[in-house]
Amino acid sequence: MSTASLAAADLAAQLAQRCDGRVSGGAGDLTVDVRAERWVQALAVARDELGLGFFDWLSAVDDLEAGLWVVCHLAAVRSGSPGAGGQLGGHLLVRTIVAREGASLATATSVFAGAAWHERETWEMFGIEFVGHPNLVPLLLADGFDGWPLRKDFQLQARLQRPWPGGKESAVRQVPR
Amino acid sequence: MSTADLPLPTVWPALQAPPGPVGPSAGPIQVWLDLDRRYHLSVFSLGLACCAVEFVALSTVGLSTAERAPDEGGAVAEVLVVAGTVTDKMAPLVRGIYDSLAQPRYVISFGACSDSGGPYWDSYSVTKGVDQVVPVDVYVPGCPPRPDALLHGIAMLRDKIASAGVP
Repeated sequence: MSTASLAAADLAAQLAQRCDGRVSGGAGDLTVDVRAERWVQALAVARDELGLGFFDWLSAVDDLEAGLWVVCHLAAVRSGSPGAGGQLGGHLLVRTIVAREGASLATATSVFAGAAWHERETWEMFGIEFVGHPNLVPLLLADGFDGWPLRKDFQLQARLQRPWPGGKESAVRQVPR
Repeated sequence: MSTADLPLPTVWPALQAPPGPVGPSAGPIQVWLDLDRRYHLSVFSLGLACCAVEFVALSTVGLSTAERAPDEGGAVAEVLVVAGTVTDKMAPLVRGIYDSLAQPRYVISFGACSDSGGPYWDSYSVTKGVDQVVPVDVYVPGCPPRPDALLHGIAMLRDKIASAGVP
């Protein structure tokens, strides 16, 4: 059976089973949640055994008191299809969650070398240290920048002087009591 | 890069003033310095975001219609048009480019972002206006401004230079 012919749902179920994770709805895309200590193993299994060899991106989501989700998008690339680079087959999100205080996670660069830049940016924006990363230095922010700007508790200096003048989107607007 | 010549400064009334002794009352000297304020503006675009496209639109159409051959011996003033979003990371480089321009030099801030930060006014990484880094002579508002607004800004700068006294 070719791995590329597996439906994404099968891929997710297999990955969850092999890495002691669980399949969740996530943000609409098929998502597999694994424990932090199984993170690197899950990515290796996805690449080597499930054919999810295309590392798309890695980032994080601040879930407040629950912690910080680290999210990685992987896809299978079918070869031999029209077009130069093949075509995307199944794809899914792999997630794990780390604590806000002293947030750290093993680096994925041993599985996907291309994760290095993504982890640098995620470290810079969310303050998640990727243990074993070869070059965890600031990438985008100005020298001497203090804080983790994409954490939800980060205080925007400009808004201290002038509060946000607009309204919230209707989907998140609070119902008046 | 395009050039546009300046109108003659209107300095004749000062010339007709009674000649005084050369010294602290620097009227005549100012006249001659002002006469030299006829620059050919050499406009350089620092395109940092989408506003740069508006500069390109003008440079292919508008500036060429305003372009005239420089007079012999005419001095050149360099004009830096900052078009787009300046970030704190980019700001030192903008300053470096400004410092590398020959005197006399002028700066036009083109668009809301380089004027004030624009829609990114509360961002953690966007500089709240390029005037925090370099002195700005003309601000062109808009998001983005139309290309003819840039032409208007250049004309305004030209008039400002021509009418300015010696500092």
